[in-house]
Amino acid sequence: SDSEETVTDQDGDGEDGDGEAVEVIELRAATGLSSQHAWWSDNMVPWMDRVEELTDGQVQFETFSGGELVAVPDEADAVLNGTIDVGLILPIYQPDQYPMAEVTMLPLAHSDAHIGSNAWQALLTSDVELEDGKTYSEMQFDQFKVFPISTTQEYSISTTGKEFDSASDVEGTSLRTPSRIHEMYSETIGVNSVTMPAVEMFDALSRGSFDGSYYSIADWSGYGFEELFKYTVTDINFGHFNAFIGTTQEKWDEFPENVQEAMTQANEEIFSPGAQEWIDRSEEAIAQNKEDGGQFVEFTSLDQEVQDLFNEGIEKTWLDYAEILEEQGLPGNELIVLWRDIIIEQGGDVPDSLKNIE
Amino acid sequence: MSSFVVIVIILTMLVLFLVSGLYIHSVLFASGVIGLILLEGFSILPGLLGNEPFNRVAGYTLTTIPLFVLMAQFILQSDIVKDIFYIVNRASRGKNSVLGILTLMIGGVLGAVSGSGTATAASLGQVAIPELRRHGYSAPLSGAIAAAGGSLSGIIPPSIILILYGVATETPVGQLFIGAIIPGILVMIVFILVMLVYFKVDKNEVEIDDEVASTEEQSDYKVSVLRLSAAGTVSLLIMLIIFGGIYSGIFTPTEAGAVGAFAGLLAALVLGKINSTFIKKSVVETIKLTGMVMLIMIGAQIFGRFVSLSLLPRKIIALLEPIMDTPALVLVIISAILFIMFMFIEGAAVILMSIPVLLPIITELQVDLLWFGVFVGIICTIGLITPPVGLSVYAVAGVSKIRLEPIFRIGMVFAVAVLVVVCGLMISFPEIATFLPDSMDS
Amino acid sequence: MKGVLSVYKYFDYIKIIGVWISGISLIGMMLFIVYDVFLRNIVENSINGGFEIVQNYFMPIVVFPSLAYVYSSGVLPKMDMLIERFKNKTKMFIIIGMVLIEIFVLILMTQFSLEYALNGLEREIAFPAAGTLYPLYPIFFFVPIAFGLIIVENIFILIRNLIEKQPSFLFKGEDKK
Ligand code: NA
Ligand code: NA
Repeated sequence: SDSEETVTDQDGDGEDGDGEAVEVIELRAATGLSSQHAWWSDNMVPWMDRVEELTDGQVQFETFSGGELVAVPDEADAVLNGTIDVGLILPIYQPDQYPMAEVTMLPLAHSDAHIGSNAWQALLTSDVELEDGKTYSEMQFDQFKVFPISTTQEYSISTTGKEFDSASDVEGTSLRTPSRIHEMYSETIGVNSVTMPAVEMFDALSRGSFDGSYYSIADWSGYGFEELFKYTVTDINFGHFNAFIGTTQEKWDEFPENVQEAMTQANEEIFSPGAQEWIDRSEEAIAQNKEDGGQFVEFTSLDQEVQDLFNEGIEKTWLDYAEILEEQGLPGNELIVLWRDIIIEQGGDVPDSLKNIE
Repeated sequence: MSSFVVIVIILTMLVLFLVSGLYIHSVLFASGVIGLILLEGFSILPGLLGNEPFNRVAGYTLTTIPLFVLMAQFILQSDIVKDIFYIVNRASRGKNSVLGILTLMIGGVLGAVSGSGTATAASLGQVAIPELRRHGYSAPLSGAIAAAGGSLSGIIPPSIILILYGVATETPVGQLFIGAIIPGILVMIVFILVMLVYFKVDKNEVEIDDEVASTEEQSDYKVSVLRLSAAGTVSLLIMLIIFGGIYSGIFTPTEAGAVGAFAGLLAALVLGKINSTFIKKSVVETIKLTGMVMLIMIGAQIFGRFVSLSLLPRKIIALLEPIMDTPALVLVIISAILFIMFMFIEGAAVILMSIPVLLPIITELQVDLLWFGVFVGIICTIGLITPPVGLSVYAVAGVSKIRLEPIFRIGMVFAVAVLVVVCGLMISFPEIATFLPDSMDS
Repeated sequence: MKGVLSVYKYFDYIKIIGVWISGISLIGMMLFIVYDVFLRNIVENSINGGFEIVQNYFMPIVVFPSLAYVYSSGVLPKMDMLIERFKNKTKMFIIIGMVLIEIFVLILMTQFSLEYALNGLEREIAFPAAGTLYPLYPIFFFVPIAFGLIIVENIFILIRNLIEKQPSFLFKGEDKK
């Protein structure tokens, strides 16, 4: 969709020289997420605005959100088949195509939106060779030019009232599980999993169909959950959902150098504010929830038996995930070691038992 | 080619195809595909069209369409609703107008257990039209009553349209549902009033036929007290199961489709109605209607892709900029534009293609998102009964063999009345939609 | 026309098989969801991956296999106020024109959905549910088959209109209203 219009490089610092006409690069950008979703409104939109600004309008974006052009999770395919030029890509939704993307969903002992985001960025840019001399990005996303953006805030467990006072309370609790990793985790700690589209959840939860869900607090407002959840366990972390802005490697190579630089610089600039947005949103949701009678319980204040159960579950989930990947012929063991190291390096933490795996 | 020229060509083509009698789904398919080719060239098609049919159909909430139709089939084939209409007719002896009112009210009640206007319209069409015809309603008016009654499911919660809007704008779906209750009832009341006017006019024209029909009916349709009470009990039970189940949290509004169908099957079993013809007829009718709706939805989606890429909605809305300081005026214009879009395009597609464009304007106008969702939901609902693309009317025409155009003529009047009265009231008194959700908050 | 009719009879059998597949899926979907609701309320554990299975397996199989039957059943809506006013000859030309447009679009849809299915087969597209990956690509093939069968139906309609005097959008002729 590159157009033939031209603009002039007005401040004259571009390579195309003073007053000379340069070709406008018009890019079609899309997400299936709603226009209010923080990944779009506070990550991708600022990135596009900044790129337009840095290139003095040489790059222009035509944007489509809310599934107007492409639905979740078809953004990756749409980028690859040329329907769109740039997409907000959510690889976790396609574990059949990107089986190693779910690694950021592995439960942790400690982290936050910044730690998760920095770790995700570090993983994408890591030069550690996982298999056959290939890095993580080369193995999973070699067709894409990847611009890492913030992960979500950590996932928590929230219920509409059910409390975890003893290990037997956990057993048989039914929670909605948003990803394959959560399914695996639930099974190991004896939680019954409910799968249901997010849009149906409010209805089902408010009428007591099941007990609660794994969810990121910052995302509550999208579905009105801040009014619904009454009990949330904090300071234990059920993973970070990840995303990136992607275009094809081919298209990237065609961009002029100044455009490539602008895109990279814009990406660096929006990265941290993007992560901060989740924290701000979550603080708002927590305040609202407390006002509505919700309580937040620190993981370390729970009965020791419950803590042990949750922690053992974390370890087993890591190992199970690695095993699934190994069965597919992928370097699962190497991947979880790399992820653990990155998490710790970025200031996060994992249960002690995982610190010894090699 | 400039997108303006393409838009003009395609809209002309669309009208030509429509009046030439091409199937509606094909009109949408053909205009969409040709539009995409003119706009982007042939190369955009494979990526955009290849996955569309599958993705459009593979949706959990869409299961309500076949399953609520199946429930209606089971109930219909067991003659339960027929018996209820018989009871109502006896109760309203001589006052045939009551039957029309009752049909619309049953539409409202069915709306509270169905998320899709089309499914309810089809069920209502099968059950109510023969009875309405017997009681002196003209074919087009009977069809319009069934279509309008069915369309109420689009706004009376649970509603697929409100779910779509809630997801697209991140407005809590539960609050949207609560907000839609009063406006939904208002729509029903307007339908009833317009229907009464039509019935009075019709009645003067077909007085004699009417009497013949009534006498005939009295003599050839007799039901034993035992059967009536069985039918009454069974239908009450089904209602109770569905309402009770949804509101006590045993199942979600979507799952209610399956549970309702299953309850209908059990009811038929109890009433001794089940045989191979019963199953075959119910299933085949359900499949026909589902296939029809899905085919149009796929077509609408492809046409919607063209509309999105042509930036048509954005162009229309860019024209609104100069009057942004008069919100009421902007809202009137937006409702007119939406009304026209919902006339031509399937509802969910309109929501999906217009919300990203409308949302910034609505936010700038500082209009409440919840209010706007209910507002759009109402315009979408009446879009189900306006020509040329009105899925409720199609469903009714499909099951009753009444011609489309006369139903649409009345449907259009129903729709305009709602647009003027209910949307007008909502703009003047926004509390109609916001009062209930606000009072729940505190 | 007799020869065509006898060939069409075989084609009818194929469409009926499609109705059977869809019908079984419809009843299956109802029972599956009811069972899921039952389990969640009684055992407090739903069928793992229940909703993904319904939306990716049951729904498409309810819709696509029977689509050719639905097409030929006359249930599909169209605006026919104008065409009814024309003489048979004009009507025939319009109908043939419309059928050709229909075939053109259907060929595109068949081709693209087939390409999508083949691509899915190559990448072994699957959907995640309850910690497991279920293959999705086999279901993709129902789509090009459905559109392909509708092309065949349209070819029959084309032949019918070339042979018979009374033009019609349906092979078996339209009901008089
Ligand atoms: Na409804
Ligand atoms: Na309409």
